[in-house]
Amino acid sequence: MNSEIPTRQSSFLLFIRKHNYLLLVLPALLLYTVFIIYPFLNSIRYSFFEWSGVGPMTYIGLGNYHTIFFGALQEFFVRALKHNLFAFVINFSLQTIFGLGLALALYAVTKGSNLYKTIFFLPNTLSTVIVGFLWNLLLNPQWGMVNRFFEMVGLDFLSRPWLGDPKLALPTILAVSAWRGLGFPILVYLAALLAIPEEYVEAAKIDGAKGFQIIHHIYIPLILPTTFTLMTLSFIWTFNMFDLIFALQGASAGPNYATDVLGTLFYRITFGGMGSSATGMGLGAAIAVVIFSVLFPVSYLLNRISKKFEL
Amino acid sequence: MELPRWRPGKLTQIMLHFILLAYSIIVLYPIGIMLLSSVKGTREIFTNPYGWPASLRLDNYSKAWKLANFSVYFQNSAFVSVMTILVLLFVSSMAAYVLARFEFRGNRALYMLFISGLMLPVRLAVVPLFTMIRDINLLDTRTALLMVYVASGIPFSIFLLVNFFKSIPKEIEEAAIIDGCGLFSIYYRIMLPLIGPALATVGIYNFIGTWNDFFFPLIFLRTKSKYTIPLGVMQFFGEFTNQWDMLFSSLTIAIVPVIIIFMVASKQFIRGMTAGAVKG
Repeated sequence: MNSEIPTRQSSFLLFIRKHNYLLLVLPALLLYTVFIIYPFLNSIRYSFFEWSGVGPMTYIGLGNYHTIFFGALQEFFVRALKHNLFAFVINFSLQTIFGLGLALALYAVTKGSNLYKTIFFLPNTLSTVIVGFLWNLLLNPQWGMVNRFFEMVGLDFLSRPWLGDPKLALPTILAVSAWRGLGFPILVYLAALLAIPEEYVEAAKIDGAKGFQIIHHIYIPLILPTTFTLMTLSFIWTFNMFDLIFALQGASAGPNYATDVLGTLFYRITFGGMGSSATGMGLGAAIAVVIFSVLFPVSYLLNRISKKFEL
Repeated sequence: MELPRWRPGKLTQIMLHFILLAYSIIVLYPIGIMLLSSVKGTREIFTNPYGWPASLRLDNYSKAWKLANFSVYFQNSAFVSVMTILVLLFVSSMAAYVLARFEFRGNRALYMLFISGLMLPVRLAVVPLFTMIRDINLLDTRTALLMVYVASGIPFSIFLLVNFFKSIPKEIEEAAIIDGCGLFSIYYRIMLPLIGPALATVGIYNFIGTWNDFFFPLIFLRTKSKYTIPLGVMQFFGEFTNQWDMLFSSLTIAIVPVIIIFMVASKQFIRGMTAGAVKG
């Protein structure tokens, strides 16, 4: 026994001396494993337990998943999932229509495109919650500048409780989120347009193609991969949505859960928010696993499709 | 470099500028309203929401600054963000250097392990992360934020930096090896300065993400003296619900520094923040 340890040690030292470069990977690997990989795997483990966060953990097999899909949480889960999908559809449509439209405009103008770029991107640099608090004031039903503006220009019927009406609340939040985020797809699309070889456009012009024909036959097909990349990001982004809803509606995602998404549901279940009696780390972990098992395959698939369209 | 590209005629140009200008107004107007309101009194905000302020109440800022305890929040945000990018750039550039330059068994697997993190939103691991942070007594500390931010920044940083290292010709290091430089000094003295632009991109991307993050401070922090700016603003909004002059000044205090920094280095910011989606 005694003789074994020193030889092992020296062989380890020998290995390190030979592969000393591995020491440079170690800090990153350690941090990454401890704070990302390990918690992720642990999430899956937690999801099979009933646990309030303190005390003993009770193994309940697929019990948490049953609660989510068929039990007490079903109604909440389905509603939140629908809201997430709605958010994705709206977010993706807005970023495709307005993002691409404004990118084309930026691409075509001869002057000022740098200034526009800076302006368009500006809200992206601001914290989402702080943007939320700003709009919370602007959208205040009584004193907010949005309603005051509509009253001022005589469009009183547009003066509404934007965040208080269950029908309007989620679309309003998505509009605020577009206000903050649209600069990103605009600039990504612009970069994609600028990367299109000029010869293609020249050749089309020689063949007699004009404005919209060029857009339709040259630009659109060539920016499809970008559209899929942005679609993937939009999907991931909308399924991680939390900050803006928390800032504008609180953890209970009111009015009457009209803006509840998986992110806010997850937060309430896990850390206990207003209006929810169920508080559990195990159940929360199960929701996280469900979110992840929606996110991962879809974003993987979209990514593969996007690669297919690349030239 | 200006590429010769699709340039529509004068009339279309004017129309396009009209559209771009309209959208610029949509973006800037709410910020403008915020700035205007931040130097008005609450009554004036309600009675005259759009006009110029009767008098510039610049002392709103100093009041809000003191009431909200902004100096503490700014220090916390600055500490966490600066430390995050310093530690992150250090550990991920070392790892990326090895992954890009040394051939060993498992190199590819190790790289894939790091890259797989691009698909894992850290927030979804927050339950075990929270209990772990609590069990190692790091709850309610800025260190907890720092650890999580560095770890979650590693996949993207390594992805970007490995590609950048690979684009640097090997002859440069070979000359240094002949001159007898050690491994660490080759990395630190020779390679690191060469990847400056990539480090800037990674640094800006993570700085903005860290500075603006709300979720992890919300989960990890308990005491006001540890709060970062977004959490501090939330706290302030809860306390001063009806004092709109204070609310608008606090928003201005939180937002304007970011806007100024962005204006100064907008090119680098845009490059840094769109790096994930734009190839080449």
